[in-house]
Amino acid sequence: MHLWRYFLGRLVGSLLVLFGVSILIFGVARLIPGDPARIALGPMASAEQVEMMRERLRLNEPVIVQYGEFVRDLFRGDLGISLYTKRPVTSDILSTLPATFELVLAAALIMTLIGVPLGIVAARYRNSGVDRAANLAALLGVVTPSFVWAIFLMLVFAFALDIFPIAGRVSRSAELPPMVTGLLIFDSAIAGMWSTFFDAVRHIVLPAIALAMGGLGTAARLTRANMSEVYDRQYVQLARAFSYTEREIAYKYALRPAMVPTLTILGLDFAIMLGNAFLVEMVFAWPGMARYGVEVIIRKDLNGIVGTVLVISAFFLIINMIIDIVVAYMNPRIRFQDQ
Amino acid sequence: MKKSYGPMAAAASALLLAGVTAVAPLSAQTVLRLDEHAIGEIDPAKATDYADSMIFYNIYDTLVIPAAGGTDILPHLAESWTIDGQTYTFTLRDDVRFHSGNVMDSADVAFSIERMLALGQGFSSLFADVIDSVETPDAQTVSITLKQPYAPFVGSLVRLAIVDKDDVLQNLADGDYGDLGDYGQAYLSSTTAGTGAYTISSHNPQELTVMEKNADYFLGVPAEAPDVAELQYSIEPATLRALITRGELDIGDQWMAPEIKAAVSAEEGVSLGQVAGISSFYLKLNNQRAPLDDVHCRRAFALAYDYDAILEQTQITEDIAFGRRAHGPLPLGVLGSDENIPTGQFDLDAARAELEKCQYNPAEHEIQLNWVAGNPIQERIQLMMQLNLGELGFDTTITTTPWAMFTELASTAERTPHVSPVNFILTTPDPDSMLYTMYHSDAVGTWASVDWVMNEEVDRMIEAGRTETDPATRAEIYRNLGNMLVEDQVSIFAYELVGVFPIRDVVHVPALQDEGRTYSVQGMNFMLREMTMN
Repeated sequence: MHLWRYFLGRLVGSLLVLFGVSILIFGVARLIPGDPARIALGPMASAEQVEMMRERLRLNEPVIVQYGEFVRDLFRGDLGISLYTKRPVTSDILSTLPATFELVLAAALIMTLIGVPLGIVAARYRNSGVDRAANLAALLGVVTPSFVWAIFLMLVFAFALDIFPIAGRVSRSAELPPMVTGLLIFDSAIAGMWSTFFDAVRHIVLPAIALAMGGLGTAARLTRANMSEVYDRQYVQLARAFSYTEREIAYKYALRPAMVPTLTILGLDFAIMLGNAFLVEMVFAWPGMARYGVEVIIRKDLNGIVGTVLVISAFFLIINMIIDIVVAYMNPRIRFQDQ
Repeated sequence: MKKSYGPMAAAASALLLAGVTAVAPLSAQTVLRLDEHAIGEIDPAKATDYADSMIFYNIYDTLVIPAAGGTDILPHLAESWTIDGQTYTFTLRDDVRFHSGNVMDSADVAFSIERMLALGQGFSSLFADVIDSVETPDAQTVSITLKQPYAPFVGSLVRLAIVDKDDVLQNLADGDYGDLGDYGQAYLSSTTAGTGAYTISSHNPQELTVMEKNADYFLGVPAEAPDVAELQYSIEPATLRALITRGELDIGDQWMAPEIKAAVSAEEGVSLGQVAGISSFYLKLNNQRAPLDDVHCRRAFALAYDYDAILEQTQITEDIAFGRRAHGPLPLGVLGSDENIPTGQFDLDAARAELEKCQYNPAEHEIQLNWVAGNPIQERIQLMMQLNLGELGFDTTITTTPWAMFTELASTAERTPHVSPVNFILTTPDPDSMLYTMYHSDAVGTWASVDWVMNEEVDRMIEAGRTETDPATRAEIYRNLGNMLVEDQVSIFAYELVGVFPIRDVVHVPALQDEGRTYSVQGMNFMLREMTMN
């Protein structure tokens, strides 16, 4: 019951933030230099044609009126026409978001499944060779930008060793599954199309690792730091005195309290990866939304900018909300702090 | 009991590696894979960019077509045409069918013109203030009357794609055009309604466009031409290099860094194809801003540009460069270009002598040298200019602007930097598409006209070139104009751009690899029906 109240509070707060973001980005997008109509039409267009396009885009109306019309269209699921692709922004985003989401999801899985255990091992064997090796690996992950990882992985494992494909989401000759979730791996598994499934997995491995490396290092270092702190607590020493095994102490007493701050940061990392995916998508020619986001900014595609930022913000808020609820579930003190 | 994950992991790895061979090619079709930097727009009334043009000339046809390796305009969908004053009457072929199976006739031509003008995008500016009326006396005849004499009109028609009126009208969505709804914009942004040698089989403007051979093409498509072409977009240079080297991409784009082109061309089975004579690179001087409103200062700047040093920077291999000496504003081969216009010379002493005649004192003017982010050669050029202008006593600042910011700066003379590098590619085979857009007073305020020439004599000559219908006289007008622009040093005519494309030996591209086969319009050199898969 209390968790529901907490959830509703977070939902209302998130919607308010989203509303604020929409106003902010709507205004900021219009501050970027350049006439979007002129950029879209090119140097040969006459002044009359540019004016016609401005009228069509409602750019001559006051910003507040433009915003009102934008909100009205938004509730109808219409984000306007992209000057970059000349297609509805909604369909642009819908056609690219699943690819980015799938990539970020895979990267988050790698980040969690490798980063957290790495931190646990390092904490369990503090100041040992294992700890130092794990620390070095984590540091390497944190300090090396994702595009460097992307190029390195692509050159070694795709180009030189020819183990993985160089680019794309799936082979051109692969038969595509019927769209259910838009996530190719899931959809091909649901359809039982295993050759496509494994082909898609092979394509996602390198970009997902490249994208995960930064967060993986953070996850490992955080888990280690938080668990080390817990290991110094008296109740852990008491558990040792009662002859609990180190494995039991690690998973039963040290990991759970240590995971609360780690989870919060992992959640943020997950959302941040959506923005960071751009360079990785570029290197692996991954047909995702991050690449679209940058192109629309360069070309001052107002509708494209606003649509992309809103979707990323919504994604960020949803992830944040989920993490908050998981953390609240794990830590009753948060749930009942107002009681 | 201790669990062992070894066998499971081994099975998963085996399955994963099995995926390497599981996805086999669907058939023995020949597939050509190429890439382009920007996304592809397939609606012919909106297409402007290079990628758009590459698709345009494969899925649509035009009434006329430029001759390969020359400036002549030849019949294409039109069998012939006559000119009577300002009225152009085209007789259409009667054996052309659209991809839908509908027969192409005069109503389709009239509809294509109306649609382009109504949408007001793409290359509609070529026709907007030009066409007065369109009449279709019979199914094979179209008469277009112009508002005033306009010699580049026939050349401009290489940008007017003929669309299938019936097909578009059957696929209208809601929109701003009354009974015509959205004028088929949604439909034509995902499919083709043309007569071209290829059809669209799938199109994602941000990722990939797939084209397939049209077996019913009115001119026929040779069996050796690629059955399928996959045009990919926005691939990162390191990835491009890996794809070409591994044989997963057959033709690379011209925007790849020279170092990458050089490295790729050293691989076995890869050569470099070239397109010259359709584009030039300029250092635009702001003619309205002191001290460059004085011709002597402009000449001093041009003499401070080290032509040889920069041309060296364009060298890709020993034999191939992406720049060659410019003879004035027009690339050689374009109507009115003039080989006798002297190329620029680097001479700091002569520059000092010109400065003596300039009304301004260099020490009193800070010069803004701008370059557009993402163009490393522009930065190198501006650094060279900074050094050499420093020798002449000018204080300079180098600024970098994103493209959108540059277009904003270009909108007023006061904010336009003193020196701005600009590439310009011919959009039609006619020199007017280059000279009017860059140098006519009515065209100022765009990135292409950042020299802000605003010279009545220049305007008069450009207009004379538009109204004169005799090609020889037009060529003379443009030669005189070219000489005048050089004499007045409105820009620094840095070098002619040569498009250089890495090509794998699985395909032969005559327009890029054979002498005298280049089309003088961007994108047209990628007509798939002329290519041969080995």
